[in-house]
Amino acid sequence: MTKPLGQLLAILATLAVMMVPAWAANMPRRIGYVTNYATHEWYQNVIKGMKARAAELGIAFEVRDANLDVNKEVSAAEDFMSQGVDVLIITPVNEGIVPLVRRAKEQGIPLVLEGSPVKRMTTMVATCDYDTGYLAGVEAGNYAMNHLGGMAKVMNVGLPLLSATVLRAHGFMDGLRTIVPNARLANDIDGGGNPDTALAASTAALARNADINIIYGINDSSAQGGLQAWKASGRSQKNLLVVGTGGEGLGFIHSMNTEPAYKIEAAMFPEKEGFTAIDTAVKLFNKQSVPLHIVSPSAAIVGADGWKKYYSVGENVRTIKWDAVNRLTPPANCMKTSAPF
Amino acid sequence: MREILQSANSTPTPHRLGANSPVVLIVLLALLCIAISIGSSRFYAIENITAILRQCALVLIIGSGMTLLLIAAEVDLSVGASMAFAGMIAMDVTNQTGSVWLGAAAGILFGGLVGLVNAIIVTRLKVKSLIATIAAMMILQGGVFLYSRQAIQNNNQLPAFTAISTGFFGPVPVPVLIAAIIFICTYIVLRHTLFGRYVYAVGSNPQAARLSGLNPERLKQILFIVTGLLAGLSGLILASLMNAGQPTAGRGFELTVIAAVILGGTSLNGGRGTLLGTLLGVLILQVINDGIIILGWDQELQLVVPGIVIVLAAYLDIVRRRAGAR
Repeated sequence: MTKPLGQLLAILATLAVMMVPAWAANMPRRIGYVTNYATHEWYQNVIKGMKARAAELGIAFEVRDANLDVNKEVSAAEDFMSQGVDVLIITPVNEGIVPLVRRAKEQGIPLVLEGSPVKRMTTMVATCDYDTGYLAGVEAGNYAMNHLGGMAKVMNVGLPLLSATVLRAHGFMDGLRTIVPNARLANDIDGGGNPDTALAASTAALARNADINIIYGINDSSAQGGLQAWKASGRSQKNLLVVGTGGEGLGFIHSMNTEPAYKIEAAMFPEKEGFTAIDTAVKLFNKQSVPLHIVSPSAAIVGADGWKKYYSVGENVRTIKWDAVNRLTPPANCMKTSAPF
Repeated sequence: MREILQSANSTPTPHRLGANSPVVLIVLLALLCIAISIGSSRFYAIENITAILRQCALVLIIGSGMTLLLIAAEVDLSVGASMAFAGMIAMDVTNQTGSVWLGAAAGILFGGLVGLVNAIIVTRLKVKSLIATIAAMMILQGGVFLYSRQAIQNNNQLPAFTAISTGFFGPVPVPVLIAAIIFICTYIVLRHTLFGRYVYAVGSNPQAARLSGLNPERLKQILFIVTGLLAGLSGLILASLMNAGQPTAGRGFELTVIAAVILGGTSLNGGRGTLLGTLLGVLILQVINDGIIILGWDQELQLVVPGIVIVLAAYLDIVRRRAGAR
């Protein structure tokens, strides 16, 4: 009786000794991430998701910030490469990193892009911008039918500089028109993607079109800037709908809690995008096949309590509810994309 | 002393400039208003005029201090960064204490503190104000993220905090009222007090001012602190408008302010300028900004058109000075 048990224990011990190095060999030791703008809440939460996943997997994880400077981005990535990181993750500032993508390939360093595509990339983790706007547009259409008398005159507080944000706005209008066919884009302004520019631009735009009843922001700051301009003009929020995009930080949660018109958020779950980027880095490290675009999920959050499904807030810090977010099924392909492939 | 004040009142005076510059600016402003209103009748809607005045308020508040500084031949490029930081502090202290008054005081005093540090670096360490305040801007832009990487929300949702920017005093928006009070006070100080004459004197010829018994350093310290306090006040109003302290707010605001002041006829070399000119400069730039959106033009023109206007204004100023020299 003891002999078979002893043999079994010996086999298990041998297997365990064999398994541990094999498992360790399949996990990169070090991942370097060059973000394009670490001071933005979206990227802070992307980094939060990356750090959490890297810690879970026992991977050393380092971050550098390009601060919207492509030269700084390339320099930081080259530093990581020369220091021998196993995998590199980059959020491209712009197409200026294409030569870097080529060099990483030549040196055999796996490279994952986050957020935006560039030519010759191996893979990118990003939400579908058009689809995100579209989902929110459909919800906005339903709201307009039920609460705004079927009227939809939209002010888009946009950012025409970036193709991703242009896609979101197009998606929003297309989604909206599936429910309200005569929905009109009354004002399309450049809010600069930040709250004070959005506020200033929206102030004049609202004076130009007094009959606007939907404010769409390509990110949370833009939506909040538009809403603050509305409030500053002394108007009531009674017949207004505000739709934000991103779910970047605490701002949208505060707005949904307290602003009567802020009813819909096109949430893009930055923590999840960071989490998925690390998983993709591990796959590339193990030379597994990955699609060109790994879609990170997005969802339209509707109503004052809608955010509670995906987040909890305590001590002015939000925490993602991984179970709920992981249950979201992203589409295999985007309806429309700006990717150069 | 009398000679130096007379000198300050003769060649580079506000009076002589006032005889020409405001007229040109008033005509320019009127032409702009007529042209835009031909393109869109919405321009003269009450809510649009209110919006323009509200936008002018923030620029005018800091612009009043900046005019005094520029006349004294100094400049403060840290006002935009100081605004953002002051707004963050005002929001944070309001959240911590539940008191809008304490939050407001903290934000404004922070701006004053930045002004004091700038003043010490410029007047004691003799670092040029251009360099010193660029350095201050960089320190503040980085420091605000050390303070908090995220926007500070109005956690207690105190309506009194948002009322600072969105409230009305009768038909007048609160920020416009605040800007008007500050403008009138600085106007009186500059035009009708000895202190105002000293500002011109120090900017025209600091050596002569010193020889006549003035203390240019002390006067500049006061002006830096006043400009800092006004930047803090603007930061408070901006945070109130956004209902949050935003670390990235106010980027480039210093250039808007300086552009308005220069457009108003204040010389970068010091010794010359008027607050009336600054008011007109602020109005012209904001009317252009508003008009571009009202007319549905490409918003990139919001940078291009004021740039052209400032070059033209500077050229007209040179022409006027040459004419005056003859």
